[in-house]
Amino acid sequence: MRIFMLSWEYPPRIIGGLARHAEGLSKALASLGHEVHVVTLDFPGAPYEEAEVPLYVHRVAVELPAPTFHTWVLLFNHFFEKRVGQLAKKYGPPDIIHAHDWLTVPAGVASKHLMRVPLVMTFHSMESLRSSSSRSPESAMVGGLEWWGSYEAAKVIAVSEWMKSEVVSQFKVPPSKVVEIPNAVDMAKFEKPVDVEATRMKWNVQPGEKLITAVGRLTSQKGFDYLIRALAGVQKSIPDSKLLVVGDGYMRGELEALAKSEGVAARTTFTGFLSDGDLVDAIRSSDMVAVPSRFEPFGIIALEAMAAGVPVVVSNVGGLAEIVEDDVDGLVVDPNSPHSIAKATIRLLSDRAVASRLAARAKEKVKAYNWEHSAAKTLEVYEAAIGEARYE
Amino acid sequence: MSELPKRILSLLMVMGAQSPDRAMSIDDLAGKLGMGRSAVESELKSLIDAGYAKLVDESGTSAVYLTVTGIITASSTYS
Repeated sequence: MRIFMLSWEYPPRIIGGLARHAEGLSKALASLGHEVHVVTLDFPGAPYEEAEVPLYVHRVAVELPAPTFHTWVLLFNHFFEKRVGQLAKKYGPPDIIHAHDWLTVPAGVASKHLMRVPLVMTFHSMESLRSSSSRSPESAMVGGLEWWGSYEAAKVIAVSEWMKSEVVSQFKVPPSKVVEIPNAVDMAKFEKPVDVEATRMKWNVQPGEKLITAVGRLTSQKGFDYLIRALAGVQKSIPDSKLLVVGDGYMRGELEALAKSEGVAARTTFTGFLSDGDLVDAIRSSDMVAVPSRFEPFGIIALEAMAAGVPVVVSNVGGLAEIVEDDVDGLVVDPNSPHSIAKATIRLLSDRAVASRLAARAKEKVKAYNWEHSAAKTLEVYEAAIGEARYE
Repeated sequence: MSELPKRILSLLMVMGAQSPDRAMSIDDLAGKLGMGRSAVESELKSLIDAGYAKLVDESGTSAVYLTVTGIITASSTYS
């Protein structure tokens, strides 16, 4: 099968979980012998064309300026359409076009109608969740594009049952049209040897200190403010605990200020973005990983920590609540509650037997979340889409 | 981050100032923001210090572009 995968991010352009998903799925589909063409945005240092046949990555430059972020998205979609047309001429038309999130819906829908090829759309998140209080025209446009994608797609994929229920209820999509296929993790990546001592020293974690790590975009969604507030409580019981915040974003200054006002600045390190290798090292060198999100359609970082054999504390929201079973393979805490996060963190850091038990169970569980399985389920969706596509 | 530095990061990204050869002059940036050059320079200094942007000097004219961290941060609302 020839698949055109449209994603605004693909490594090394990693904004969040979407890039990891696009990479993991594309590689797994290619390893099954399918010809996968990823159309994505360019990025400094990355080649415009990359091929590990049958996987091709085509990076597109946005050759015109735009006045705002949202018009820029519409503009880069036109360049995606152009590239799709060029690829169809060179390699032949695809059997499937697969668009990820609202960001590539215009190119996906246009390509579907121009080439009369079925469109599949994956929802990784939704605007109503990101901007629940926003009534801005931009937010309305994003929500509109999400609806349009769900309408035009022959099949819709949601990354969790929770995400599926949101798509069905908000966009009135027939439940039979939406298939839940969870994200996955590359186990081997998290099982490579790591120099734990050197990694901890790099982040100024002294022998005997406890390291809590949190990873993600520094946005309100991720709930890192709750974690920093929780750290103040954790310090009372475990004074030698430290927090490593991996990632960057518009909230960085605010979070750094919060760490100061909570009196934990000296115990908190903001690393900024880390390379894939450094990220794996950081996770594997941690005593626990916290995922304190306000909402989370999936939460791929929880899977990665579980694969690394590191115990997790996660919020009881969205996809996280589907991945982690409380006190079985992790600890699940009340969302928006520094007290609840602190309580679970203290338990994990002070009771090694509990931490080991949860981590061992999690590592077993996470084996089911592999890209081969995701690719197989995605192929079933493609086959169904080919059978059901309409081009009114 | 307050609204102005967010606007600057976003504007640099959508105008394509993502590499030294596509850097945007500070005068052009100030004009597109509808602000005075000195106010923009002051805000840019913080963004450069934080690693989000870099300055280049093109024949005596200062220009600015986003670093990799700046690009990712300017995109970080969505993923």
